[in-house]
Amino acid sequence: MSDMLRHGQSWLAAKLTSHAAHEVVYRRDSLQATVLATIGKTDAEQESADGLVTRTEVRDYLINTVSLVLDGVQTLPQRGDEILETDEGQVFIYEVLPMGSDRAWRYSDPFRLKLRIHTKLIATEDM
Amino acid sequence: MSTVLQVADAVTSQLNAAALSQSFTAERLYIPNFELAKLNQLRVTVVPSELHVRSLDRNRNSYEAEIDIAVQKKFKQGSNAEIDPLIALVEEIADLFRLQRLASLPAAIWSRTEHQVLYSPEHWEQYRQFTSLLTVFFRLAR
Repeated sequence: MSDMLRHGQSWLAAKLTSHAAHEVVYRRDSLQATVLATIGKTDAEQESADGLVTRTEVRDYLINTVSLVLDGVQTLPQRGDEILETDEGQVFIYEVLPMGSDRAWRYSDPFRLKLRIHTKLIATEDM
Repeated sequence: MSTVLQVADAVTSQLNAAALSQSFTAERLYIPNFELAKLNQLRVTVVPSELHVRSLDRNRNSYEAEIDIAVQKKFKQGSNAEIDPLIALVEEIADLFRLQRLASLPAAIWSRTEHQVLYSPEHWEQYRQFTSLLTVFFRLAR
């Protein structure tokens, strides 16, 4: 018997990718790949430690697990990887980083079809 | 200008005039509040933290000004090769004031230094950012 839940999740993942995703560059050191990503959540974060406040924009990206391929090898996100998003002549660079007590990424569904990757804005560059 | 601000300004000037292993422009702020995206460059911040006043004699008080010096930089890998120079810089900054009077405020003499946050594990983990906090105490009579 087919797994209806898995099929449903797979259908939803495909719809998200085809209708609510745009191209970003996923970069690890000198390796990079262009992938389709859905922006899951964008928020502002402010954290204070010992009176020192660090502010940043935090953003989650949803990426198909099978599409994250670097140098011909399917891989999983690592802390320190970067996601580059281009918008109106500017490149926004987000770094894969943990979010509070949550680690830097997790699967976003029970069937591991999509990755939810936590990032923080670390630089903005002109193209 | 208040005593603690005079001391903080003198510390800032002395940091900016010093020849240390890494170049930076220190600034005095009340709250170091930076965008992560602006921390790719080394930032040194001087913060007036506390002022303790005690009776010294019939006419004067003894002031002890507590000055925080924050050293912050976003790092790439967090390797020893990347972080060791930052730890060394923090020690250089501490040594700069040890047993010295402040150049632009000679009435203020170094009292002690505390290095309670060699590096912040929270900033390391959450931002891959080096954050070190040095507290330097200066005494002066007034």
